[in-house]
Amino acid sequence: MSQPTGSLLSLKNLGKRFGSLQALEGVSLDVRAGTVQCLLGENGAGKSTLCNLIFGVYEPSAGDMAFDGAAWAPESPAVALEKGIAMVHQHFSLVPRMTVVENLMLGQVRGVLKRHEFGARIRDIAESFGFSLDPDAVVGELSVGERQRAEIVKCLMRDPKLLVLDEPTAVLPPGEIGALLDICRRVADSGRAVILVTHKLAEIAKVADRVVVLRTGRLVADESMAEADMGALVHAMVGRELRPLDVALAETDEDVETPEAARGFALVCDGLTVHDRHGAVRLDNFTLEIRPGEIVGLAGVEGNGQSELGMVLAGLLRPTEGHFYIGGSDLTHAGAAAVTAAGGGIVPEDRHAVACVTGMSVAENVFLNKLERFTRFGLLQRGAMNAAAQKQMKEFDVRATGPEVAFSGLSGGNQQKAVLARELTLDPLVALVAAQPTRGLDVSAVEAVYRQIRAAARRGVGVLLISSELDELLAVADRVAVLYRGRLVGERPAEMSERGAIGALMSGQIVSGQVA
Amino acid sequence: MEEMLAIFIASTLRLAMPLMLAASGELVSERAGVLNLSLEGMMLTAAFFGALGSWASGNPYLGVACAILASVVVSAVQAWLSVNLRANQLVVGIGFNILALGATTLLYRIIFGGLSREEIPGLPKLAVKGLSDLPFAGTAFFQQSVIVYVGLGLIVLIWAMLNHTSFGLAVRAVGDEPRSADKAGIPVNATRWKAVLITGFMAGFAGAFISIADIHTFTENMTNGAGYLALAAVIFGGWNVGRTIAACLLFGAATALQFQLPAMGINVPTAFLLMLPYLLALLAVAGVVGRLEPPTSLTLPFQRGK
Repeated sequence: MSQPTGSLLSLKNLGKRFGSLQALEGVSLDVRAGTVQCLLGENGAGKSTLCNLIFGVYEPSAGDMAFDGAAWAPESPAVALEKGIAMVHQHFSLVPRMTVVENLMLGQVRGVLKRHEFGARIRDIAESFGFSLDPDAVVGELSVGERQRAEIVKCLMRDPKLLVLDEPTAVLPPGEIGALLDICRRVADSGRAVILVTHKLAEIAKVADRVVVLRTGRLVADESMAEADMGALVHAMVGRELRPLDVALAETDEDVETPEAARGFALVCDGLTVHDRHGAVRLDNFTLEIRPGEIVGLAGVEGNGQSELGMVLAGLLRPTEGHFYIGGSDLTHAGAAAVTAAGGGIVPEDRHAVACVTGMSVAENVFLNKLERFTRFGLLQRGAMNAAAQKQMKEFDVRATGPEVAFSGLSGGNQQKAVLARELTLDPLVALVAAQPTRGLDVSAVEAVYRQIRAAARRGVGVLLISSELDELLAVADRVAVLYRGRLVGERPAEMSERGAIGALMSGQIVSGQVA
Repeated sequence: MEEMLAIFIASTLRLAMPLMLAASGELVSERAGVLNLSLEGMMLTAAFFGALGSWASGNPYLGVACAILASVVVSAVQAWLSVNLRANQLVVGIGFNILALGATTLLYRIIFGGLSREEIPGLPKLAVKGLSDLPFAGTAFFQQSVIVYVGLGLIVLIWAMLNHTSFGLAVRAVGDEPRSADKAGIPVNATRWKAVLITGFMAGFAGAFISIADIHTFTENMTNGAGYLALAAVIFGGWNVGRTIAACLLFGAATALQFQLPAMGINVPTAFLLMLPYLLALLAVAGVVGRLEPPTSLTLPFQRGK
């Protein structure tokens, strides 16, 4: 086998297919010992699939892998770990109520526990890579960065040749990122290889030796960091041709004059700030004004404060600071029922847990927030409700055998259309907040959802559309604001030509202004 | 007065013993994430089969073995239902308790019908040589049934196992974060099975203590809520061995007061004293005394990939 010298892991024409989805195709790359390699790509670009192939979670459907001078086909993560590949997952696998040393001993030792001996080993390993870790600290009381370091030590104890870190910066506050990168550098300097998986290039640019970029399952760039042009890499990551959605929506968009209400905004967020229970800032001084009839897209990689914002606007989470107004009334501390009453339609991010009661019928779900319409003397008028539901199902194209079937029996697209039916038929309807409304839906359902949202906007509703699908935002919204680490970092017109600039904002490469 | 106190301590220890045995066993399985509400049923089953074994064989030690065997069988069914079939642990537990009460009452009436109140061969009191004659401590601590000393040893073993062995580590991990434990290569369901069997073993010991060591007979529903008190002690003790034992001793002392206060000529309504341990348990479980967090995955069955 002719390998380039120093290549620890080499992939040749690697492909993976899930049913009809080609998740990865023709990926060839080499990872050298002693280097830090960055694997860059958007959500769904195939980064996780690639890692899972290397780590033995999946079997490739095409191509070959070689690791450490031999053909590589691990049948399970346990085998991969055994042979020298360790992975720090995005979701840590530590038990919060046990100490660091107990966590690291779990599954590794038999019989009587020797905490001191093992703790000393942990200290030694941490120190040899230039950081400190208290083996007797309870994991649940550690900061996210410290937990991550514990997880890294857990991997390093197995003395791996290749260390893979999946989105390691996603969970870290900015101050801790530098320390993580130092550790990665030292791990590489000790003769191991490091793969950093990320969609935030700017954060890790300092430490990477090489960058490979994946887009829709294909390798689109493989460059040495020293020669790489950041702008070109970002473009490689996000650049894409027009998709059918844009065409479909363009055809139906007859460009009606939006009726701008003379006074006020539909939705105003004024300095909304949310701290989580650990005191970390999840949403930072978020200010945005949406006019009636306007669709504002909120772009951003998931986990940058979108969920928190959605919860606040739904009346489910009290912000630490700031206010929000729907149709001019302050609803910051009013709760979910008041938001509905004031004309705030909410399409929650988590369809199953928050948006519906899956065990109840379609009709019951469609009228969940206005059951009083069909209640007489405390009794539910089921006949009237089902008839009304039937009418709405027709209007919103919710396909089900009838209004009385269980909501759980509907497909994801039809469930979402039913949720939209519920929220868009509020009276009055002033503002609509739709969070990731097309997640998991097929193309035709996506189109239907956006048709309804646009129709609502034409009727004068102000829409905040939160989505991690940039293409959809560009097709649907009037302007796109970008959320990064809880902050509004910039705003651009929703035009295809702005795609690169918005992508750069999303990846945190620039805070505002022009892309390099 | 000193004599009174020594007797009070001795009876506290005697009354707390079945609670301590059952609670320390239950603690293991709750730390592993399985709640055995059936603890009461396990103890009652054990008390009955212990009495039966002892009476039929004439050997109280064989009786203890029968008690443990019967209770372990019950716990195995409990483990199968709650770990493998992922049944609702509360419902299964209540079902077991009702079943155990009915079955032991029925069997008792069939087998012992005419011989009720007959004394069965019991375990001897073991006066520890050289210590039992000590003026105060001798009466208080060293004139107990053999099972007390063995039981105390088992409780220490459970403490050491939970805190100082890899099995204990595995038990705590599967009770908190079974998914993480699974990733670390711990067999989650097998660990839970073992933990439930340990509960069964200890509950069997507790049941045997009540019928063979303490009362020397079986009566209908003779555990009379001791299993529930043990469950309360685990919560009161914050899933920690030392504190749980302390809670059991507190409940034991409250029960001992029933006999002690009248003997000292203090006039308190008996009904109030009968109620006292349960009242304490209620306050404890309600979190009046400072609530501690249960194992994160308590009562939640584990299924990989879900």
